[in-house]
Amino acid sequence: MQGGSSGIGYGLKYQARCISDVKADTDHTSFITGTLSLREENEVHLLRLSSGGTELICEGLFSHPNEIWDLSSCPFDQRIFSTVFSTGESFGAAVWQIPELYGQLNSPQLERIASLDGHVGKVNCILWWPSGRNDKLISIDEENLFLWSLDCSRKAAQVQSKESAGMLHYLSGGAWDPHDVNAVAATCESSVQFWDLRTMKKTSSIERGHVRKVDYDTRKMHMLVTAEDESGIHIWDLRMPKVPIDELRGHSHWTWAVTCNPEYDGLILSSGTDSTVNLWFTSTTSDELTSGSVVASPSQKLDPLLFSFNDYEDSVYGLAWSSREPWIFASLSYDGRVVVESVKPFLPKK
Amino acid sequence: MGEGDMPLDDKAKRTRDLLSSFYSPDPSVSNTSNSFRFSSLDAINSTSFDADQYMNLLVQTSNLEGLLQRHVEMAAEIKNLDTDLQMLVYENYNKFISATDTIKRMKSNIVGMETSMEQLLGKITSVQSRSDGVNTSLFEKREHIEKLHRTHNLLRKVQFIYDLPARLGKCIKSEAYADAVKFYIGAMPIFKAYGDSSFQDCKQASEEVMATIIKKLQGKLFLDSESIQARAEAAILLKKLNFPMDNLKAKLFEKLEQSLEALQLKHEDITNVLVESNNPSEQGNNTESVTGSAHDALVCEFAEAVQAYQVIFPDSEKQLIKLSQDLIAKHFEITAGYIKEWIPIANFLGVLRIIWKDVLLMDKVLHEALLPDYSLKASQVAVKQYIKSTFSHLLNDISDSLTNVHIKPKEEAEEHLLVVFLEAGKTAVLQGSLNVLLDFRQLLEENLGGIQLSNLIVEWVQEGFQDFFRALHDRFLLLSGKNKSASQDENSTENMQVEKVIPGLVLVLAQLSIFIEQVAISRITEEISAYFSGGGGHASENGPALVPGEICQTFHSDGEMFLQHYINTTTQKISVLLRKRFTAPNWVKHKEPREVHMFVDLFLQELEAIGTEAKQILPHGALRKHHRSESNGSSASSRSNPLREDRMMRSNTHRARSQLLETHLAKLFKQKVEIFTKTEYTQESVITTVVKLCLKSFLEFVRLQTFNRSGFQQIQLDIQFLRASLKEIVEDEAAIDFLLDEVIVGASDRCLDPIPLEPPILDKLVQAKLAKEKEQTPIYP
Repeated sequence: MQGGSSGIGYGLKYQARCISDVKADTDHTSFITGTLSLREENEVHLLRLSSGGTELICEGLFSHPNEIWDLSSCPFDQRIFSTVFSTGESFGAAVWQIPELYGQLNSPQLERIASLDGHVGKVNCILWWPSGRNDKLISIDEENLFLWSLDCSRKAAQVQSKESAGMLHYLSGGAWDPHDVNAVAATCESSVQFWDLRTMKKTSSIERGHVRKVDYDTRKMHMLVTAEDESGIHIWDLRMPKVPIDELRGHSHWTWAVTCNPEYDGLILSSGTDSTVNLWFTSTTSDELTSGSVVASPSQKLDPLLFSFNDYEDSVYGLAWSSREPWIFASLSYDGRVVVESVKPFLPKK
Repeated sequence: MGEGDMPLDDKAKRTRDLLSSFYSPDPSVSNTSNSFRFSSLDAINSTSFDADQYMNLLVQTSNLEGLLQRHVEMAAEIKNLDTDLQMLVYENYNKFISATDTIKRMKSNIVGMETSMEQLLGKITSVQSRSDGVNTSLFEKREHIEKLHRTHNLLRKVQFIYDLPARLGKCIKSEAYADAVKFYIGAMPIFKAYGDSSFQDCKQASEEVMATIIKKLQGKLFLDSESIQARAEAAILLKKLNFPMDNLKAKLFEKLEQSLEALQLKHEDITNVLVESNNPSEQGNNTESVTGSAHDALVCEFAEAVQAYQVIFPDSEKQLIKLSQDLIAKHFEITAGYIKEWIPIANFLGVLRIIWKDVLLMDKVLHEALLPDYSLKASQVAVKQYIKSTFSHLLNDISDSLTNVHIKPKEEAEEHLLVVFLEAGKTAVLQGSLNVLLDFRQLLEENLGGIQLSNLIVEWVQEGFQDFFRALHDRFLLLSGKNKSASQDENSTENMQVEKVIPGLVLVLAQLSIFIEQVAISRITEEISAYFSGGGGHASENGPALVPGEICQTFHSDGEMFLQHYINTTTQKISVLLRKRFTAPNWVKHKEPREVHMFVDLFLQELEAIGTEAKQILPHGALRKHHRSESNGSSASSRSNPLREDRMMRSNTHRARSQLLETHLAKLFKQKVEIFTKTEYTQESVITTVVKLCLKSFLEFVRLQTFNRSGFQQIQLDIQFLRASLKEIVEDEAAIDFLLDEVIVGASDRCLDPIPLEPPILDKLVQAKLAKEKEQTPIYP
């Protein structure tokens, strides 16, 4: 189950945590990633998989003023992305545009479209409207949830609404439901909360501690995957938030990130601090969930772990499927190494 | 003479041949032998004789003299043949003449016979006419006689009817009810025909008498003291009298049912008595037989009653069969009740024995009910249930021993708690299963239902063990709190208990699983193969029922899982500690470190707790040295220490630092230290794994923070202290060293101003902490 490297590597100069698929680039399989270095000049790398799929080419290298804690690409404009950054003492969030003429400049400056100010404390992440062109943007800091309206042409972002998570709830991340654009899941210390953006109210929650990352299944309604520090990966049906419908072992140490494949049902990728990326396959379908049979007979099921990519030197924090070629994913370990792998050999036979 | 004989013989033979060819329809039969000779001179006797050819042959082969001689011979032969022929013709003629004479004589003898036959016919007709005359003359007289006879009969009947009442009365007196009924029934047609006219008085009188008879018969029927024969007769008589029997039948049946009920209640009492008498002493055979006999008497009575009923109402078999089956079914129901409560094997066998006795008794009486078959089936079910309940009982015993022990000896020294626990679990599993097997051996030896049942028992026992271990596996999961979804319903009750128990218990379960895998299964399999083999005929259809390999595998993986679970829960606990440590202070505005932080104490305390738990249960790792060299750590540890100092020194010089760091990191990673190795069942391995995981978590927490100089120094100090303390308890120093270094490197990476503490100050602070600890140790023995 463990294999050596078949992936394509690319080294960043410094340590890094986040990588994102450039969804809007329909001509190439591209990823964007940024470094995390407290004392050095941080960089944003735009990477493109060569047409043969054998090489990662650096398409653009831009300096970024601060270390990047979160980065996500705009789903409708390949030149726009958002970052969450830290100066060491305070956090900030901004939307950036890659300059038009970047090919000619040596280390061109990024153009800041909008600065998402107003946050206090640690900013966790920025969420883009799940698909298509929309001006809505969500940013989550430790205590608040902001809904922004972004105007790219006027280069301004306005807070549409803002809601506090409530006392003693420290938010740590979130995900926007691709099936219901009014729903957002936010993780906090002891639970996963679900917010309705129209009313900006909490609708429900899953009581589960230390959820590190949450991801909606883009293929199936109501399905949510959570990664938890020590207790692996859980798959939930939002209609039955009490008990997970499936449980995966996760990693030898913490499970850091988890993401569902945008194209293939049940294909889940997770990365952990044990320096591995695991590829899982769960046959759980939403039709089965009425019966407890899924839980009752876990021993009869096949091992859900399809493959474990373990050719990493450090904890893997960044993980992204390519939406253009959904059998390709990029992973980023803390030592700044981007590895792009293909899961084609492990795809379920149709 | 010899020469003269030969031609003579030859001649006779030829004659015979010729004659036979003349008479026989198929000449080829006799001449087949000659057919191939016709080219020689001897062919003269064959049918296919060709004269010309013969001549040619003769002329060619013989000289003149020979030819002449041959001519003479032939002429003589021809003459001889002629005379022979003549003689034959004469003989046949003679025979023909004598036959003609015989025929003539026969013809003359037949001529006289026809006339004598005609005379005979005439005589017979005269005899016939005479007999007809006699017949007609006697006819009148005979008819008269017949009439007289009929009248006589009628008179006798009338006389009988007039006498009937008196006769019936007499019958009652002599209790010859059968005769009375016979008489009455004889008279019935007459009463029917003339009862309203001529014999009215008679009829009434006799009916009255009959009424008393019927009453008497009924009384007799219901009287238990009467012999069965008599009661049966009474019933038959009543039936003959067209008395409505259904009523009677129902009444009698009710009586039977009532007695049946009484029997059942008593049966329960008896088994109660049996239970009581068996408990105090093993030699309860005496009392058992006594109570058994009391019960037997009752059953005997019932059997007799049934027999009587059967004799009385021969067509009531179905009802009776149902009744007796009910009885047996009730018996088994009661047995099932006992099984549910679980009774010792001796009692169970006692009950079965009693039932079997009853069945045999009933079978004697009511063979058609097929009670033995029925009860055989029922007892199979009962035995199966018993085996099942025994296993579930065992299962409960085991889980009780695991949970109870934990609660009970709270006052005892904590140190030995888990050992007690584990030992109790071990004995419960092994001794329990061996006892169960012993019980089943008794069951097998009892041999209740022949070979078939014992085969089935063997199969059930094997199946039972398979299921038992599966259930045990589930129970273990439940106890460990791992299988939460399964216990969803009982969450409120079970989990409360489980929550408290978890860390130690999980470790116990891990060890217990290993014990089952390595010791218990093989012992049990031995026992089973010694006493419970041979049921293979059935089992082989879908493979053998008991698959020790499969169970071993299950428990092997269980053991690993529990160990992992134990490690997970403990690391989770420590994780919470770490989380608090890192979320609470503002690391960017940290103050200068003045002492080793408190959380280190807590961390070490937790580790110590794990250590005591592990020490109780897990064995020492014998291969300590070997392990170290295996994880290629010794080289790394010797490398990493100077490296660290090297790096720390250089970190002061800001410029070259980052690049150097990178290269060093790269070097370091070339010798990748395996952090996540497989955990083994030794104290050291478990503790080392926990420490490794916790340090890794520590590293991850550090990486998420940003430190100022003091914050970094605080981490450095804490790690320095930990390094000394951890070395004493862990196995894989290399990996731990590596992780501790990583934490410091991580912290320096996340530090705005990474200037480490000077080694003397570091030493001083660590020493201060150690001194403080020494002061405190007497307080916590």
